[in-house]
Amino acid sequence: MIHVRHLSHSFGPHLVIQNCTFSLGKGDFLFLSGPSGAGKTTLLRLLYAALPSQIGEISVAGVDLRGIRGRAVADLRRQVGVVFQDFKILPLRTVQANIALPLQVRGLVSPHIERRVRAVARALGLESRLGLPCGGLSGGEQQRVAIARAFVVNPKVLLADEPTGNLDPELSFRLMELFKQFQAYGATVIFATHSRELIRRHPSARVMRLEEGAIIHANWPGARVSSAGGEEGIDASPPLSLDGRDEFARSSP
Amino acid sequence: MIRMVARLIRQGVTDLALNPWTQLLTLMGVTLVTFLAGLFLMALLTLDSQLGAVRGETAFQVYWHPGMDMTLVREQWENFRHMPDFAAATTFTPEEALRELGSRLGRSHGGKGELARDFPFLGEGSPLPATALVSFAPVEEDTAAWVSQIEDFLKNLPGVERVIATPLRDELGQAWRKVSRYVLFPSLGFLALILGLLVGNTIRLSLLGKAYEIEILHMVGAYSWYIRLPLVVGGALQGLAGGALALGLLRLLHLRIRDALNFPPLLAEIVFPPLEMCLALVLVPAVTGMLASRLAVRG
Repeated sequence: MIHVRHLSHSFGPHLVIQNCTFSLGKGDFLFLSGPSGAGKTTLLRLLYAALPSQIGEISVAGVDLRGIRGRAVADLRRQVGVVFQDFKILPLRTVQANIALPLQVRGLVSPHIERRVRAVARALGLESRLGLPCGGLSGGEQQRVAIARAFVVNPKVLLADEPTGNLDPELSFRLMELFKQFQAYGATVIFATHSRELIRRHPSARVMRLEEGAIIHANWPGARVSSAGGEEGIDASPPLSLDGRDEFARSSP
Repeated sequence: MIRMVARLIRQGVTDLALNPWTQLLTLMGVTLVTFLAGLFLMALLTLDSQLGAVRGETAFQVYWHPGMDMTLVREQWENFRHMPDFAAATTFTPEEALRELGSRLGRSHGGKGELARDFPFLGEGSPLPATALVSFAPVEEDTAAWVSQIEDFLKNLPGVERVIATPLRDELGQAWRKVSRYVLFPSLGFLALILGLLVGNTIRLSLLGKAYEIEILHMVGAYSWYIRLPLVVGGALQGLAGGALALGLLRLLHLRIRDALNFPPLLAEIVFPPLEMCLALVLVPAVTGMLASRLAVRG
């Protein structure tokens, strides 16, 4: 579902993604971890074509993202649900209108849209807020609106950038269950987070840790720890430990 | 698909209410710019009409035989007024001509009585012929042929002794009209360009506030036309409303100042733009509003 090979990206002279290679299949769940500035958000942006790929190969849901433009980008994003770190919701529009946005752009008819929106809002505890403008909601509620908007289209790929950052632990765990449900239905999920507690609670998930744009740890054979240089460097990299989660757990408080 | 397009058009209209102050300020900006353009247009048209009216006339000095029956001459004078392209006629009966002569000789108030004192033979009656200065504002391209035709017509009138055309004045008139055409049309084009740029930029700036919404729509997989349509509809409405308001204000102002220059020696009536230019004043902001919205999305 997601294939990334020797992917590098720079902003000017600053290299923010370094020679990353990993693959995820249908129904995989990946925790993307790393400190602030590690390149998590940039990697996600590359995966939904918000940034043009510069070096390396990248394909999502069967779409080769190299040189992708215009309508093809829109078609890709119709298969990808994204939860943004800064929510990206329209404050003057209602919760209902915000959640319905991806359905409306697909040209769905109103009764179907209403049914879907109501179902997702119920699952995220937003049903009573549907008629309110988003600008008046709390940070946690706005975050749930952003999550609902990503969920509402049943995407093949779900990319979430710190989706639980503004939520209390209990709500975070409940939301995680929703993400897991999506995974169970066959969606491929990449979940960027700082929360080691969340990762620890889902030991079966794949985990990839980025630092300074490089993969420094991954716990499944579909990913390779980045090395400086090109193909040869990748091939020469040490095999990954499948129980890398233990190493991750050791470093957590 | 049709339903979706209809919904997007409706959204373009209803979205105007989301940021009422921004929309109001934009509307004011568009109205003001269009109004100023309309004022400039009125000034240009008034100037053009004056150039055409004053400089474009051809005058004929007509002399009748002395002692002609004035009833017949007066009939002819009346008939001049019904001729095509007639502009004005200044007529003198023999007595009026003598009075005029007297006043030109320095006896502005004495007239025939004082002149007759210096020249006793004038007391018997005016020896001068009836005359008329008849002006026309021809629209023909071949002015020389037209002048000749009118001159022949006037010469053949019963009792007319002599007709003098004023070709110099006519040539000058033609030249002025050419200059006026060369100045007017480029000026109108330039005005439309300025109007388009200013209105377009105003609407484009007002859409900066929509950048965030446009970004979100792109992120959720909206096609470009889906994003553009409501904005283009909104831009067109802004332009249309601004243009219509400006035209209304212009009409009100014209009613107030129409005769502001209508006094001697100017005698100029301020010209309101004709229908096609009024339509342009409304349509140019509307079309540039649409284009600016489209460009704003691309930006």
